Amino acid sequence: MRLLLTLILFLPLIGGIAVLFFRRHPDRCRWVSLGVTLADLILVLVVWFGTDPMPGAMDGRRLFVDLPWIPALGIRYFLLLDGISLVMILLTAFLMVLCILASWRSIADRAGIYYFALLATETAVMGVFLAGDLFLFYLFWELQLIPIFFLIGLWGHPDRVRAAVRFFIFSMAGGLLLLIAIIGLYLIHGAQTEVYGFARYQLMNTTLGPAVEWWLFGAFLLGFGVKIPIVPVHTWLPDAHTEAPTAGSVILAGLLLKTGAYGLLRFGFPLFPTAAARSVPILLTLGLVGLFYIAWIALTQQDIKRIVAYSSISHMGLVVVGLAVWNEIALSGAVIQMVNHGITTSALFILVGILEERGHSRQLGDYHGLWHRMPVFSGFFLFFAMAAVGLPGLNNFIGEILILMGTFQEWPAAGIIGFIGIVLTLIYFLRLVQNLLFGPVDERMPGDDITQREAAVLIPLALAVLWIGLHPGPLLDLLAPSVAHLADLVGGNGGAADYVASGAM
Amino acid sequence: MKSLLMMLLLFPLLGGLYHALLGVRLDRRWSEIVAVAAVAGSLIMAVAAAVVAGGRPVIFPLLEWFSVGELAASMDAMYDPLAAVMAVLVTFIAALVHLFSVIYMRREGGYARYYCYLNLFVFFMLVIVTADNLLFLFLGWEGVGFCSYALIGFWYRDAYHADAARKAFLVTRIGSAALGIAIGLFFTAFQSLSMDYITHHAGMLSAGMVLAIGLLLLAAAAGKSALLPLSIWLPDAMAGPTPVSALIHAATMVTAGVYLLLRLYPVLVLSPVAMGVTAAVGAVTALYGACSALAQHDIKRVLAYSTVSQLGFMVLGIGAEDPTGGLFHLLSQAFFKALLFLAAGCIIQSLSGEHDIFRMGRKVRHALPKVYGCFLIGALSLAAVPPTIGFFSKDRLLLTNLTHPSIFHAVLWIIGTLTTLITALYVFRLFFLVFYGGPGPKRTQAPEPGPVRPILVWTLYPLAFLALAGGVMNLPIGSWNFLDRYLMPVAGLGPPLEASPSLEWGVRIGNAVVALIGIGLAYLAYGPRPLKEKPATAPDSMQNLLYSGFYLNKLYHRWVVRPYEQAAAFLSNRVDHGGVDAVMTGSGRLASRWSMNLRLWTTGRLSTYLGVLLAGFTAMLVILALGLL
Repeated sequence: MRLLLTLILFLPLIGGIAVLFFRRHPDRCRWVSLGVTLADLILVLVVWFGTDPMPGAMDGRRLFVDLPWIPALGIRYFLLLDGISLVMILLTAFLMVLCILASWRSIADRAGIYYFALLATETAVMGVFLAGDLFLFYLFWELQLIPIFFLIGLWGHPDRVRAAVRFFIFSMAGGLLLLIAIIGLYLIHGAQTEVYGFARYQLMNTTLGPAVEWWLFGAFLLGFGVKIPIVPVHTWLPDAHTEAPTAGSVILAGLLLKTGAYGLLRFGFPLFPTAAARSVPILLTLGLVGLFYIAWIALTQQDIKRIVAYSSISHMGLVVVGLAVWNEIALSGAVIQMVNHGITTSALFILVGILEERGHSRQLGDYHGLWHRMPVFSGFFLFFAMAAVGLPGLNNFIGEILILMGTFQEWPAAGIIGFIGIVLTLIYFLRLVQNLLFGPVDERMPGDDITQREAAVLIPLALAVLWIGLHPGPLLDLLAPSVAHLADLVGGNGGAADYVASGAM
Repeated sequence: MKSLLMMLLLFPLLGGLYHALLGVRLDRRWSEIVAVAAVAGSLIMAVAAAVVAGGRPVIFPLLEWFSVGELAASMDAMYDPLAAVMAVLVTFIAALVHLFSVIYMRREGGYARYYCYLNLFVFFMLVIVTADNLLFLFLGWEGVGFCSYALIGFWYRDAYHADAARKAFLVTRIGSAALGIAIGLFFTAFQSLSMDYITHHAGMLSAGMVLAIGLLLLAAAAGKSALLPLSIWLPDAMAGPTPVSALIHAATMVTAGVYLLLRLYPVLVLSPVAMGVTAAVGAVTALYGACSALAQHDIKRVLAYSTVSQLGFMVLGIGAEDPTGGLFHLLSQAFFKALLFLAAGCIIQSLSGEHDIFRMGRKVRHALPKVYGCFLIGALSLAAVPPTIGFFSKDRLLLTNLTHPSIFHAVLWIIGTLTTLITALYVFRLFFLVFYGGPGPKRTQAPEPGPVRPILVWTLYPLAFLALAGGVMNLPIGSWNFLDRYLMPVAGLGPPLEASPSLEWGVRIGNAVVALIGIGLAYLAYGPRPLKEKPATAPDSMQNLLYSGFYLNKLYHRWVVRPYEQAAAFLSNRVDHGGVDAVMTGSGRLASRWSMNLRLWTTGRLSTYLGVLLAGFTAMLVILALGLL
């Protein structure tokens, strides 16, 4: 089973390299990529059903690999799979299959490299979700940038180069801060304990002065915050999403944004509990301001894809709120919300992509009355839009209500503001739905409804929406031990000591 | 019992899913049969469950939903007398409306979509009615909001309909936010979301909490039940097909807010301030709706404002500590309003879509004599003329306010009585214009009334019977108060305060007289008489005020919508693009200028590089050494 973890992680990359050999035959590239992603998804499912939280380990880990890699620097090949990681890699593997399917026809040019980039991203993102060694984490963290940069820059829309560069610079700036902070923490830890290492269980043990802790936490927060993105550093996102090809938008929204929130959850808060606890009001404010601010901005946008992109920021703002509150309910909500956002926003991007393929425009003003021309498309669109605004019974509601109820336990005022913010989300989504689907019938509107391949992409997403919305129990059970452990870690006293005890086993 | 409740909910849900999944491939006949059968089956289950429960409250866990830590959201059903009354009412009205729809909508396309939403509408309303867990109730609450959105905007091709739908969804969602916040406060206070638990432990709440929750619940109810100031969506909501209006106004939507207040009445009653505000909002809404109804031209708009007014009466009763009276009026309103709407539907269809009451007239009476009779019964009931159900339910609410010890309620009683007068006036203005108006300037171009299908008229009869004789279910005489006694086991519900018989009869006769005076005034102003051709005058400012519903829409537009849009434009252009982004890219530009300076270092000479490298190493070592010291 331990080998399985490494296999899951590197199978896509190996598959990607294999695809490069077929690059003269786009069809073979597609089928190989589909096979590889499907195989990876099956492996993740095997891990889900085949493992249980290890007895005795307090952090709810299910599998781990811990081998020395570069002993001179104390860098370890340390992968750890607990409930949270499992949920995240499940999302990754699931969305990747759909990405391959969604770009089946639209990518004809340099298909080999395209699929290589997609598969390499899968490995990088999974690496982020699995790494337990901070250096390894950082490596995967930066690795994900490269294929995405090319996905946007080569296969994107007209303004793609500017958007790609912008995305790259923002991410690199955040990444550099992160790197400096990681090295700083490594050096301080090494100086204190004489043991130089990057593994999470080692670094947890560092004693930090308040000022140093603030600086390091600040760097982590900025580094991760750019990716999430938290509001003042969000401006790269609308451009990158808008210019990216559909699969690129799906990966960006569905997976890359999650790595930022995951980083905060896994490293940012647990490594610097005091600074994190002190920064809660700031984070709550930023998350909630984001919710309102984005609701306003999105209302004025004319580009459909941009509206969906902005909605991402608003949903992720709620995730930040959930992380800041840091209790069992809110944390579960934050993780579920990451998954939910991955599903609904991906679905909306795919739908916008479908529309753009047919109508050759992304402008809201160019469409109206689609319900008459494309009823199935419209039904899907309405469904996912309703999921995105948090209609109960659909997935986003579960995440939102958990986050807000968790928030109510500690910060009732923030909970109240959060509820109001969710109403505002409805305003811009209804504007979108109304402009696209309703209005006079026009025979000039695109009329070919969803194809079977497109349905094969959308139906699994719709089922996931309903599954999480109506029966999130299995997912929440998966998260429970890990989340409970994390909640104790920062909130409770002496949590770090437990963590080290369990980690050292 | 559990299986009965399951089926009660499952029938309309499966009906909705059936239409949603098979969609366009569905044959119209099958679609209609499934939709009607689903709701009829649900009605049978509601009655059966009420019989089996026998007036005792029962709680059943139906399904697990989710739970984390102390937060447990399970789909638990509670079937107590209050839920039973509501469930039977909802399914009964809904079954008639479905049947009516089969004929009324027979020429419309999109029938699968229509019946899908219609069935789901009933399902979500039944969830509200039977839920014990607050989050389960919230599921129904939001689901109803969505279905109303979809149905009001059923004719989506016309922007007017789509806008009305959006307005309904948004305004009711403001109420949902209030409900969500109230749920959050309940959760922090009780660590439980079971309404059964909450209502039995309401005493644990602090005074401030009770006040906050009470006002939030009122705000939630105001959203769904179209109370001031959130009433603006309901008059526009008649943009939907007429059967949908009947459903919204009588059973599935606007009653939800009132029901919420009844369900959580034991919490509400703890805060005198919240109760006072509730009663005041109710009274003012009642008066507001009645005045606005006076000046409308559209038959459905008159009825819509009348619903606003009647909802105000219900809430007035609840605020005056007579929740059972509120429920009684809810039932009564459901009967006569469903009747009036469906009758209006018959008239509209007979006139091929005409809504303007100034284009109707005596020809309608001749063409549709049965509809005329039903409409008259509905109008009498709405005007609270004895012995209709409307008379008994309204009489009780007014009496409760008068017997209430607080002087404040005496003022509300005056408002209520005044509203009764206006109610009789506007409803008979409507009645006379629709059935007795002679040929006027607008009437000459009016379409000729045609016959309607008999089935449409048949669906009116049960409602007409109930609107006329339904008062028997709760007469204020001796032990004829069946409803009061049936509801006794529900927490907080019971018979009203005792009043002295002389006061009781005085108020009763007074109310009847007031209603008759109203009808008389309407007769004088709009009654059948040889027509004087009135020169067309510009409507005066009073008429404009009433017609526009006190300019409430304009006020919202001016003070809420426009500032919101302006803020959005400002943030988007100035702040996001010009501010935040400029700072980000500006810092980028700064960095590139710096890098120009840095480029001077790249001399290409090895000695410079080595020197810099050395300096860097030294600096690092010094820092490390300092750290170790």
